[in-house]
Amino acid sequence: MCAVICFSLVMMSFMRQPTPIKVYMIGDSTMSLYDIHQFPINGWGMPFANYFDDGVMIVNKAKPGRSTRTFLAENRWKPIADSLKSGDYVLIQFGHNDEGDSIKYKDRFTPVSDYKTNLIKFITETKNKNANPILITPVSRRNFDKDGKAKETHIAYTRAVFEIADQYKVPVIDLDKRSRELIQQLGPEQSKLLFMQLDSAEHPNYPVGRLDNTHFNEYGARKIAEQVLNELKKQNNPLAAHIVAGTNQSNVAPAAK
Amino acid sequence: MAIFAFIQQPKHMTIYLAGDSTMANKEVKAYPETGWGMPFKYFWDSTVTVTNIAKNGRSTKSFITEGLWQSIVDNLKQGDYVLIQFGHNDEVPTKKTATTEVQFHDNLLRFVTETRAKQGIPVLITPVARRKFDANGKIQGTHEVYSEIVRKLAAEQNVPLIDLDRESQAMLQKLGPDNSKMLYNHLDKGENPNYPDGRADDTHFSELGARKMAEIVLADIKSLKLDLANRIYVSHLGIK
Repeated sequence: MCAVICFSLVMMSFMRQPTPIKVYMIGDSTMSLYDIHQFPINGWGMPFANYFDDGVMIVNKAKPGRSTRTFLAENRWKPIADSLKSGDYVLIQFGHNDEGDSIKYKDRFTPVSDYKTNLIKFITETKNKNANPILITPVSRRNFDKDGKAKETHIAYTRAVFEIADQYKVPVIDLDKRSRELIQQLGPEQSKLLFMQLDSAEHPNYPVGRLDNTHFNEYGARKIAEQVLNELKKQNNPLAAHIVAGTNQSNVAPAAK
Repeated sequence: MAIFAFIQQPKHMTIYLAGDSTMANKEVKAYPETGWGMPFKYFWDSTVTVTNIAKNGRSTKSFITEGLWQSIVDNLKQGDYVLIQFGHNDEVPTKKTATTEVQFHDNLLRFVTETRAKQGIPVLITPVARRKFDANGKIQGTHEVYSEIVRKLAAEQNVPLIDLDRESQAMLQKLGPDNSKMLYNHLDKGENPNYPDGRADDTHFSELGARKMAEIVLADIKSLKLDLANRIYVSHLGIK
């Protein structure tokens, strides 16, 4: 008796709950997950995952240090391509390691031509599964010139992303530009608060401190995630329908809740 | 060798956090609002569990009447710590949770006494600052009376004191009126999905502010030379 009831309950729950859309994230350290003993470093994929409804499952497969080439060579892409279902998404953001110095970072360096070929592979294999690729230009580094102007730090690779997006009719989020605008708006001093800049002894995880203009802290990662979320909305990407619509009020009493 | 290792292994312990919204865990739908207890729990080695009982809106009074305090006392073991930070909801007379100065003092004294009765170690913390500057960009205290009660009680009862009110004000002053907004839950309209109309909150923290406050508390735990400081996670990141 119980078996029958339990079985029908399980069947009912199956029928009622459609499988969530999977949003795979592939990229480098600026997007990836981190262990608590690496905090306060956060990839922007971490806060990004907090802003979707139950219809979406974020699967963050980004890995620190990876270029498009090493992501493929380490067989990180194929298992994703194999498990993709119709309607899933793949968010693609590489560049930081592809563009590394060809001698010093020989292990990851990928020339622009190969970078394009690899992006095309991600796109076509995603489309072959009736899934949706979204290209994202590499998030900006914090690099100011002497006049306090935020410099472009990924010129050739960002241009390559646009070329491929155009050629293959893939939505593109210009995170390089958006994030550079944020860095510019905050200016040389204040923008440090977005990045992994820590005094020694400030945080137990970084006993000698850190001076990093590439990797974001938890605050910077969230600001970047907000930019991606808002770009999805602005482009009317169907994925934006699954971004939560919060109900927190704008005004707040001066005292604590 | 194995026996030696066994003897050296320090006993597991718990740090209880008792306080209000500035310390509490948050639901995902309230993000990026963050209580400082959230990043604080990641500072410790594997012998420490941080149990954050702090709750939005609680004063010393409502923390007691709702049984939150009793839940800590019931579980306290010898050597456990209780970090106590109240004031925001005690000091506003129009709030239902408000306590008089005498009640605030007596409730804190009760927390200290009952912690010690179980051979736990209480730590008193003055209420963390609100972001309030005068026209000249000078930081304004907003907890003067209630913070002073905490300081006096700590001295009288010989309880370790973390003067978070004073130290967080110093941090706000250093950042100034503009940059200090980044420490609090300040959001533009349309910036964050959870706050579609934006937010300008000068009491509750962003992820950054919460972590900075937790770092102040941690630095004081070290400078007070509490036993607890021996259980801070030891990292070798960046050390060659």
